[in-house]
Amino acid sequence: MDNVIFIISTILTVGGALCVLLTKNIMHACVYLLTCLLGVAGLYVTLGADFVAATQLAVYVGGVVILMVFAVMLTGGPNSQSSNKFGIVKIPMMGNAKTYIIGIISAVIFGLMAYKVLSRVITSIQAGEAPVFTETVEKIGFMLVTDHVLAFEISSVLLLGALVGAAIIARPKRGV
Amino acid sequence: MMTLTSYLMISTFLFLCGLVAVIARKNLIAVLLGIELILNASALNFVAYTRFVNNNLDGHIFPLFIIIVAAAEAAVGLAIVIRFFQIRESIHIDDATQLQS
Repeated sequence: MDNVIFIISTILTVGGALCVLLTKNIMHACVYLLTCLLGVAGLYVTLGADFVAATQLAVYVGGVVILMVFAVMLTGGPNSQSSNKFGIVKIPMMGNAKTYIIGIISAVIFGLMAYKVLSRVITSIQAGEAPVFTETVEKIGFMLVTDHVLAFEISSVLLLGALVGAAIIARPKRGV
Repeated sequence: MMTLTSYLMISTFLFLCGLVAVIARKNLIAVLLGIELILNASALNFVAYTRFVNNNLDGHIFPLFIIIVAAAEAAVGLAIVIRFFQIRESIHIDDATQLQS
């Protein structure tokens, strides 16, 4: 089971990184980065770091890549109209074969990750025992507010500064 | 199969892909994608070492801060890219010559 997750995650990570490097379309590069980060989350699961994997999924796949996609769409330029050579507005496709293959692989690895996380609970329910929780969330939360509390506070200030800085930088010109 | 060496090889590959993307791509957003790959490589190294070497949870704290810093960096970097596009109508990296006197 671990080997299956490891192999699929490695394929997703390495292939995603190569495709980010090699593809010409910047929007495709963003989607390949998403598969690469999904593979890295799977590698975290194989290493027993469930909280880091969940944070990777929530922050990277849910936040940073969406931000990248919005930036790509906002900086498209005037020559990227979706019309064909006859001047008719083209209906965008709902994806092609590659899109669906990547989607299926992502769904498979997500299912395997969910099974890996829940496997102890599932087997103990089948055996009729109390579930054995070995997650790292409690220890990480304890360590964040005891040993690493200074870095925790500094990161909160950093996030506030980044928020204000991004809002100020991307603000349109005054009087325009 | 799941040894420390394999994780380090994956991490090295991610780092090399990110480095080549930062150096060779001519799109500002692609450069930011390369930086994300490099940060992920370092975070994967932290988790792999803490799993195979000393097995405490200090190596799980550092990827969290790396993810926080990467999110902040992406927000500010993309704001700079959007501002640059408003000024120069391009995100090609050779157009960023305004600070060269």
